[in-house]
Amino acid sequence: MNKNEIITALRADRVSRRGAMKALGAMGLTVATLPGMARRAVAQSERGTYFTWGGYDDEGLFGPFVAEHGTPPNFVTYGDAEEGFTKMKAGFVVDVVHPCSNDIPRWKESGLFRTIDTAKLSHFPDVFDKLATLPGAQDDAGQWYVPFEWGATSITYRTDVVDPGEGGESWTMLFDEQYKGKIAVIDSAADTWWCMAILAGVDISKPLTDEDIAKATEMMRKLHPQVRVYTNDMTSLAQSLASGEVVMAITWNEVPVQLQGEGVPVKFAAPKEGALTWNCGLMMHKDAPNPEDAHDIIDAMISTETGKYCIEEYGYGHSNAKSFDLVDAETLANLGLDIDPTDYIDAGNFIYPQTDEVETQMNRDFESVKTGF
Amino acid sequence: MNTAAITSDAPRASAWRRLLMRSEALRGYLLLSPTLIVMFGIMVIPMIGMVVLSFWTQLAGTTFDTALTLKNYSDAFTREMYRILFVRSLGVSLLTTLFTVLLAYPVAYYVAFHVKRHKMVWIILMTLPFWTSYLLRVFAWKIILGYNGAINSGLISLGAISEPLTFLLYNPTAVVITLTHAWAAFAILPIYVSLEKIDRSLLEAATDLGDGPVARFFRIVLPLSLPGIIAASVLIFIPTVGDYVTPSLVGGTDGYMISNAIQFQFARGNNWPLGAALSLSSMVIVTAIVLTFVFAVRRATARIG
Repeated sequence: MNKNEIITALRADRVSRRGAMKALGAMGLTVATLPGMARRAVAQSERGTYFTWGGYDDEGLFGPFVAEHGTPPNFVTYGDAEEGFTKMKAGFVVDVVHPCSNDIPRWKESGLFRTIDTAKLSHFPDVFDKLATLPGAQDDAGQWYVPFEWGATSITYRTDVVDPGEGGESWTMLFDEQYKGKIAVIDSAADTWWCMAILAGVDISKPLTDEDIAKATEMMRKLHPQVRVYTNDMTSLAQSLASGEVVMAITWNEVPVQLQGEGVPVKFAAPKEGALTWNCGLMMHKDAPNPEDAHDIIDAMISTETGKYCIEEYGYGHSNAKSFDLVDAETLANLGLDIDPTDYIDAGNFIYPQTDEVETQMNRDFESVKTGF
Repeated sequence: MNTAAITSDAPRASAWRRLLMRSEALRGYLLLSPTLIVMFGIMVIPMIGMVVLSFWTQLAGTTFDTALTLKNYSDAFTREMYRILFVRSLGVSLLTTLFTVLLAYPVAYYVAFHVKRHKMVWIILMTLPFWTSYLLRVFAWKIILGYNGAINSGLISLGAISEPLTFLLYNPTAVVITLTHAWAAFAILPIYVSLEKIDRSLLEAATDLGDGPVARFFRIVLPLSLPGIIAASVLIFIPTVGDYVTPSLVGGTDGYMISNAIQFQFARGNNWPLGAALSLSSMVIVTAIVLTFVFAVRRATARIG
């Protein structure tokens, strides 16, 4: 029955109930299958997907990509990289993902990633050698990991409330009885547990022993009663500090930068035991559906333009040596980035890449301390 | 050719037709078949997978030791942490159910008995909060209970307190409050329906026979609305035990519930078999409690009747 027939039939009042049902049924089937077909068509022309921490889903970090493709990549976020890794192990496929340098060996071993074609990255020659050759980042097969940003995890504290006192800035500030319940920490073992490991005197630049793990967990357990909230959301950490709900928080560099910009009296501590320094970067999924886009995303993120944005807006060091030339000296000095980044990296407390067993043990310990056990 | 096709087809078609005509059950199942296939595909098969998984052991990385073991269940039931989390989750859900039903009943009662016109508008108004996302409603409570939230700033501006109260947020109480609000409509609607169905002449008869409003309520209205109360309780109790968004947003560390522990096993904890054992245990416990509850209420009402 074609369209005109239906209309004539309707006019003449000749449509049987069965005929009407047939027509409606056919229409229903068409409508139901249409979205599926349309979506498949779109999927082929879809942009690359970038899997990262909440907070990096920021168009400003993808200037050259936006200029070329008209839109930023698709963003999918995780609370911490381990969560993202588990999701990918369970079959989630993306183009580019954002691990940290200590994750590289374990991630590579999972067989989920492929090497990145550095010939397609116009900015790769400007990347700090030191970062591009971190353990596991490159081998005979090629470049597995392209560094993006680096920084520290430390205490951001309200200078109008907390006085570091005689001893100077230290991780022990978090244990001060008078600030009990006025402390927030990052809800990720990859940050908070490692900070406690540093305080416990564990040498984190080598493989951990069971004893090291026990020491760090013990310190974490002592910290727990002081903590009001565990969160991965830097914005909510910043808000809690600004409102005075908490007076100290374990955060990344971006929080003090943001709060100082708003005129909140805060400081990013340089604990005498050492802050936790990290470098994170980009890896490419072996089944990346849009490999061209993936390379464009990576190239955009290591561009000087993004570097400038990353330094000024987030307060992070960038992997592109030339991006530091675009930022004025005063800003760099304020951020504590006015030093030779290579020195900073040399002096830092980078986490040694640990085995799966250590990572899992650490995560389980962290979780059980967090729940009060 | 044609005749051959017809003759060979016809008996088969009619046999099939006869079977269909004769068996009402078969027709019923045939009509249900799309639903049954979907249910089987997305409920039964994954459930079997979970059961099998819960008897395995996680090795480092993504691999499992497939030798069957009861260790996950013994962990789930003997480790103090999980025991406390189970008890806390059940406590939070029971309180939520209790408060939701207590708060929903008067609303449903009012709409069923005292609203004469535009009942539809009232019902739509009650479901209005559900037009926004669940997450948004949880966040709304975070704003109300928060450090600089509505309650604290209100009390401060009234001069009742000088420092914001910190016990409002990040504890099990906050979880109960949030869940009670979030699930309100699920209690109001079934209770409303069962109240609406009550034959009004029974109430008149009770009044004629000398019952006051209170006696009438307890002897007629309440027993007759029990199906609605049971439905509401079950509808709220079951999903709230498994809620993990609310505790993770407003529960803080003390409000951590069993579902958060399960989520952890499937994510960072990387112990899927234990996660499977915990979810199945929680399912069995919840089922047992619901069955006991329904059975107890049935017995109690049978005695009254």
